[in-house]
Amino acid sequence: MHEYAFFLGCIAPNRYPGCEAAAIRTSRNVGIELLPLKGASCCPAPGAFGAVDLRVWYAMAARNICLAEEMGKDITLICNGCYKSIYEVNERLKEDDELRDEANEVLAEIDMEFKGSVDVYHLAELYYDPKVCGVEKIRESVVRPLDGTKIAVHYGCHLLKPLKERRFTNSENPMWIEELVDALGAEAVQYRNKMQCCGAGGGVRGFDLAHSLDITNEKMINIAEAGADALTEVCPFCQLQFDRGQVEIKDKFGIEWGLPVLHYNELLGLAQGMSPQELALDLHAIDCKPFLDKIL
Amino acid sequence: MAEEIKQPRIGVFVCHCGTNIAGTIDVEAVKDYAATLPNVAVADHYQYMCSTPGQQMIQDAIKEHDLTGVVVAACTPRLHEPTFRTATKEGGLNPFRFEMANIRDQNSWVHMHDAEGATEKAKDAVRIAVAKASLLEDLYPKSVPVEHAAMVVGAGVGGIQAALDLANAGIKTYLIEKSPTVGGRMSQLDKTFPTLDCSQCILTPKMVDVGRHPNIELHTYTEVEAVDGYIGNFEITLRKKARGVMSQDEATAKGIVGGGCNGCGDCEAVCPVIKPNPFELGMAPRKAIYIYHPQVVPLVYTVDFDSCVKCGLCVEACGDKKAIDLEMEDTFETVKVGSVILATGYEIFPVEKKREWGYKQFDNVITSLEFERLICASGPTGGHLVRPSDGETPMKVAFLLCAGSRDNTGVGKPYCSRFCCMYSLKHAHQVMEKIPGCQPYIFYMDIRSFGKMYEEFYYRIQNEGAKFIRGRVANILEDPKTKNLHVYAEDTLLGRPVDIEVDMAVLAAAIQPAADTDHVRHLFGVSCSQDGWLLEAHPKLNPCGTTTAGIFLAGVCQGPKDIPDTVAQAEGAASAASIPIHMGKVDLEPYFAQCIEEKCAGCGMCVNQCPYSALDLIEKDGRTVMHVTEAKCKGCGTCGGFCPGGAIYMQHFTTPQIVAQIDAFLLGGEE
Amino acid sequence: MAKGYNDPAMEEKFQDRYFHATTETNPEFIKEIERLGRTHAHMCFQCGTCTGSCPSAPRSSYRIRKFMRRAVLGLEKEALTDPDLWLCTTCYSCADRCPRDIAPTDVIMAMRNLAFKEDIVPRNFLKTIQLIYKTGHGVPNNDANRAARLKLGLEAEPETTHKYPEFIPGIQKILDHYDMKETADRILSEGEQ
Repeated sequence: MHEYAFFLGCIAPNRYPGCEAAAIRTSRNVGIELLPLKGASCCPAPGAFGAVDLRVWYAMAARNICLAEEMGKDITLICNGCYKSIYEVNERLKEDDELRDEANEVLAEIDMEFKGSVDVYHLAELYYDPKVCGVEKIRESVVRPLDGTKIAVHYGCHLLKPLKERRFTNSENPMWIEELVDALGAEAVQYRNKMQCCGAGGGVRGFDLAHSLDITNEKMINIAEAGADALTEVCPFCQLQFDRGQVEIKDKFGIEWGLPVLHYNELLGLAQGMSPQELALDLHAIDCKPFLDKIL
Repeated sequence: MAEEIKQPRIGVFVCHCGTNIAGTIDVEAVKDYAATLPNVAVADHYQYMCSTPGQQMIQDAIKEHDLTGVVVAACTPRLHEPTFRTATKEGGLNPFRFEMANIRDQNSWVHMHDAEGATEKAKDAVRIAVAKASLLEDLYPKSVPVEHAAMVVGAGVGGIQAALDLANAGIKTYLIEKSPTVGGRMSQLDKTFPTLDCSQCILTPKMVDVGRHPNIELHTYTEVEAVDGYIGNFEITLRKKARGVMSQDEATAKGIVGGGCNGCGDCEAVCPVIKPNPFELGMAPRKAIYIYHPQVVPLVYTVDFDSCVKCGLCVEACGDKKAIDLEMEDTFETVKVGSVILATGYEIFPVEKKREWGYKQFDNVITSLEFERLICASGPTGGHLVRPSDGETPMKVAFLLCAGSRDNTGVGKPYCSRFCCMYSLKHAHQVMEKIPGCQPYIFYMDIRSFGKMYEEFYYRIQNEGAKFIRGRVANILEDPKTKNLHVYAEDTLLGRPVDIEVDMAVLAAAIQPAADTDHVRHLFGVSCSQDGWLLEAHPKLNPCGTTTAGIFLAGVCQGPKDIPDTVAQAEGAASAASIPIHMGKVDLEPYFAQCIEEKCAGCGMCVNQCPYSALDLIEKDGRTVMHVTEAKCKGCGTCGGFCPGGAIYMQHFTTPQIVAQIDAFLLGGEE
Repeated sequence: MAKGYNDPAMEEKFQDRYFHATTETNPEFIKEIERLGRTHAHMCFQCGTCTGSCPSAPRSSYRIRKFMRRAVLGLEKEALTDPDLWLCTTCYSCADRCPRDIAPTDVIMAMRNLAFKEDIVPRNFLKTIQLIYKTGHGVPNNDANRAARLKLGLEAEPETTHKYPEFIPGIQKILDHYDMKETADRILSEGEQ
């Protein structure tokens, strides 16, 4: 068993709890144990917080990392926004003495200190990493193959970009999540401008909802063109934008897409035999039934 | 002409040139048509006639069909006539029994949208070529010996490099420079991009070398007066302008022991006449007896007879050296050389013609060459950049790129002057380096930093703090009180008009061919392009040669170039110019006029008509007849067309041959 | 430079739009941006790859290249008062493609930090600050979600500050260190007046 401190963030536990439940169970099935990171807060949101004061962003994220350092565990998480905050702040504070000293000055007020003793991983990254899990182990864990389904993959921006601040090597046409999807028996389909943003980030969703939805709608057009039965992603904030966003798109622009949106952990949960109820798919704004009908 | 008269047997070969020809012209139809023409023994076509199998087809057909002539319908003789002549020769025929029909450049390329018309035109061209080929005769090129010497005209960095290369290759080289010293524009520059090494420091070793190289005969203050002859045997008359001062060698030759100019400068000290120094672009004074700068080669003073008052003080000061002769006159000398390199360089476009930038109207608007002298430690201000209006140090300097370049108004120059971007970047660097806190603003349309390490240099200068404003400067206005300048432009990237107040503006003025270029090119029979730059034989495949055999080009006279490109071309030109000299002889195409002596009345009218002085009258067997110096004859046909008695025979362009071609065209092949 | 027209609308309409390079520019602006954004913004050569990569560009007047230009020239006010500043989704496509290896997104983030210092910030950002101050979460739990969590066999409150509110004072201390809550409250209340 590989053990990690599980950083929850906000949207997964507070809006899509199925993602949290799925992550804990699906990862256990492939030899990854997620341990609660007690007292963690918002990462904090890189757009919303980084935009107003980067110093606060560093300090707040550092506090979350310190909790894992106290556990002596590396961090894993299931949200790209959290990944940007926790991974990037961790790396920057490790390498930049000035930034670290400034963050530690604040942390000292609450008797904490950033030491730089842990690493941060996205859970999807661990799934793909053969040293931890690997595609084969994912494939072996499948009890209900998603045969006959076409699934579009949305990587999300902060998972891969800026690339030079990531472990990954390709932010223009990566295929590794497709491999993870194919391992479930589904067919990962390619679509136009796959790497385009969901539209939610940088506070734009809150600042100008219609603008952010217009970006989302462009993605929906491209995904529909590829004939996908569902969209999968590895970020609850992207999920929120695609899922609830479709309702808002219908409301604002009068266009109805009806495309089920599932976090990769939810998809994996289905393939590993979890029921829609165990994944709280009923909390999704877009009905997942058309997709579920194909596999159940 | 005792050769056996044989019924002509012509082979016709039509080239596809990939799809260049076959894409438009029905080559099969042209081939079939050719087979029907009189005298045609064989007709064929092939993908690429110039390829080895294509040439083999010609050689095989000559033998198989016992051909007397070959026609290839393909591209232009300028490109492949030598190829097919060689193939003809390899097949066993005299190479001049080959005729080419141009069905590509003058047909398929221009009639791309009229396949039918193009095919008919190709048939005409083939028919005409066959008519001529039927009458072609064996000809033998004339070989002439080559003088083992070369001349380089212009002693800037290009001319210097070419002369050194020729001299180092063992060739006696005359290096001709109209000004009193070698060095050219490069010696006026302060630093060179992108390495920022001192221009004089890297040039002076070469200047010294040309001054003392045993194979180089340096003629400064000298101009080409007249050119006679042809490749291998040019006779060039030099005008050695009256310098008023003898070198030590010249003095020795006159028997003045230990005399001649040693560059001491005593004469200059006593000279009462003060004139602006053109080397410093008029920003520093010189006397009527002067040198441009301390590093001149040769170190010999020059008297400016236009301003000299002949007071004689200098002669007195010179004393026993007796170097100065105020009554000196121009002298002439004729030298023989095998080949010539022109390296006459450039000058700055008179940018005051672009009135909107206020050069010569506002004190603080200067040209980039003036900037070079002002920033140069050996320049008129000792390297302190100052405003001409008040001698103050400028803290904001605007650099205007494309000042007269890329200008289609007819006032400026339509071309890119190619090195202004780079030296302006260098200038921006220099002001930031020499004047802490000085802010350069570079107004540009594009930054053309194409050379090796040039883009990196651009990066460096931007990193040093130069501000780049993408927009061509509309106009400059002067604040009459402060003499500051307001530079108006659009920041096209910001989408806003710009009005930046600066202390000084530097115009990266366009360049143009040096003033004497047109005169020199006429002397040497070299063409120029529309903008006045000397014309190379081929822009890609023969960039150093000209259409006049034995004349080569180096440096900016051929078109704008920076120092690396100039030196590279100079080395290329030196290599090309040395080929005929090392070969020792050159073959001349045998298109000579021939005198049919029995018809010649000896009137001599042709002698005056000949543009190449190839003809003269001689006494032969008691009669006066015309005689052709074949090596000088270019086969232009002027004499042949003119001769009232029909006594001149133009080899390879004989009257019967041309009449046959005209008949073939007009009669459409009907007998 | 004011023209002294008696009609302020005319004064505004015909205001001097020349860029004068000195009067309206702040040379410290680019330095602050480079410090905060940790990217060498002054090396921008305005190729437009950023705008070409930007998902917001084709649906708005937002041109990230233009913000880069303003950064280089020191046009602080023009940059910080332009509402387009808040249309960056922080997707970082521009950063990955910039040939000069600049991260334009981080320039935008730095500009937003500087705008916040001038009280220029959209309300949604401030509300997030208030929520985090109160709960530790930018998107906090709610009753419907608690019920769903219980159905899934999860605890009603996740293992975060929600379940362990004793961590919230520490978070508040960090935010107070930078006067975040106070500033957010002040700007929001001013907006309501």
